[in-house]
Amino acid sequence: MAILEVKNLRKHFGGNEVLKGVDFSLEKGNVLSIIGSSGGGKTTLLRCLNFLEKADEGDIFVNGECVYHAEAGMKKPVVSPKAQRSMGLVFQQFNLFPQYSVMDNLMLAPKLQAKRLPADARESAQEILARAEALLARVGLSEKANAYPCELSGGQCQRVAIARALMLQPEILCFDEPTSALDPELTGEVLRVIRSLKNSERTMIIVTHEMEFARNVSDKVIFMADGVIEEMGTPEEIFDHPKSEKTAAFLSHRAF
Amino acid sequence: MNFSQINLLLLSGFGKTCSLFFLTLIFALPLGLVVMFGLICPFKPLRWLTRTVVWIIRGTPLMLQLFVVFYVPGMLFHTNLFVGTSGRFQAALVAFVINYSCYFAEIYRGGVESIPRGQYEAAQVLGLSRVETFFRVVLMQVVKRILAPMSNEVITLVKDTSLARVIAVAEIFYINEVRILSKAIIWPLFYIGVFFLLFVGALTLLFNYAEKKLSYYKL
Ligand SMILES: Nc1ncnc2c1ncn2[C@@H]1O[C@H](COP(=O)(O)OP(=O)(O)OP(=O)(O)O)[C@@H](O)[C@H]1O
Ligand SMILES: [Mg+2]
Repeated sequence: MAILEVKNLRKHFGGNEVLKGVDFSLEKGNVLSIIGSSGGGKTTLLRCLNFLEKADEGDIFVNGECVYHAEAGMKKPVVSPKAQRSMGLVFQQFNLFPQYSVMDNLMLAPKLQAKRLPADARESAQEILARAEALLARVGLSEKANAYPCELSGGQCQRVAIARALMLQPEILCFDEPTSALDPELTGEVLRVIRSLKNSERTMIIVTHEMEFARNVSDKVIFMADGVIEEMGTPEEIFDHPKSEKTAAFLSHRAF
Repeated sequence: MNFSQINLLLLSGFGKTCSLFFLTLIFALPLGLVVMFGLICPFKPLRWLTRTVVWIIRGTPLMLQLFVVFYVPGMLFHTNLFVGTSGRFQAALVAFVINYSCYFAEIYRGGVESIPRGQYEAAQVLGLSRVETFFRVVLMQVVKRILAPMSNEVITLVKDTSLARVIAVAEIFYINEVRILSKAIIWPLFYIGVFFLLFVGALTLLFNYAEKKLSYYKL
């Protein structure tokens, strides 16, 4: 069964239809890359998947369970309480909390989450700390545990942001152009970390303009244009044998 | 009147000035937060009501507000809400608290609205509730951002306390004018000047210290 199923997702801003019915599904452990030209609706799609925007119409299923449902004429969409927790998002601009150290950025949300559980069911502070330390090591930043975001490079900030998102163990981790705010020499370290996260348990959706990366790391690629999925397939199908003319045109503009 | 008598008089005036200052802060700082929530409330009628109140308070002289608070309740209800010396002080305190809450609220609002949307979005994606987002993520950033405008406002408050004399609160200027200057003794005026300089100097040091304390991170 697919871990994520998106059905007929629609979103407009005023008169501007940005998502015109997006359907796709994703298997557990797969990496999906979303590519496409500027203004195609990639960010809007990710934001709808993370409930930062409310889609006007459509359904989102996680593990077969409907976590989001909206249709025309409904006053408010139906959002299940599990919805937010099943998704994680890494922003282009990191959005770390500047007043907290790296460690506290990682531990803030899990600690607050633990507080909501009954005392015997909650994760202890030591367990949270241990997980945070393990994840920091994972992204290669153990020695920066007590640094503040303003003392880190962009690439280090983004690696912290990735670790922070992983702390909550989302079913699906989304990235919106995780390297677009970085100098070219810092891009590599972040992409390496993302690639190293790939395993059979972790499902990821990555919006990216790094075509080489998308080709190497993805199991599935979506090309979006004007609010619809223009083409969807394996990296080979999309990059080597694009069926759609728009896809081919888009790819030919990219020198790689 | 001898030197020590004058000193005692001045001291009692300083005392009143100081307690008006600190009590106003104690009440107006949190009340300003409440007013701010009104200013940014998504519920429009409440938002407009709060904005109107803030407009009126900021748009009229504090001196007028002192008169209104002191005299109007008595005129309306034919009972004296504020009786005697302590009543005058309470009336002044109420007027100051209302006035300063509105100014603080506007400063807080500016601070809250200057926090980038990304901070709220990151908090939402991490599953923080609205209350948690405000207290754990936004508040400390706001404090850092508003420190400079707040120091301005607080210093202004020190000097605004002298307005309380218009309803005969025995703060330093009232004491000086009624009990000392009236006897053609001039020198305490300089004395008062030095008091305000020292008071504001101490506050400036305090704010500088707070700024240093918060300089461990950048926004
Ligand atoms: N909050 C908003 N209000 C109004 N219009 C918006 C909003 N967010 C996005 N749009 C519009 O939606 C369209 C799609 O934007 P989106 O950011 O999703 O594109 P994108 O594919 O992520 O582009 P890019 O590659 O440049 O990041 C654009 O025309 C944009 O102007
Ligand atoms: Mg985008």
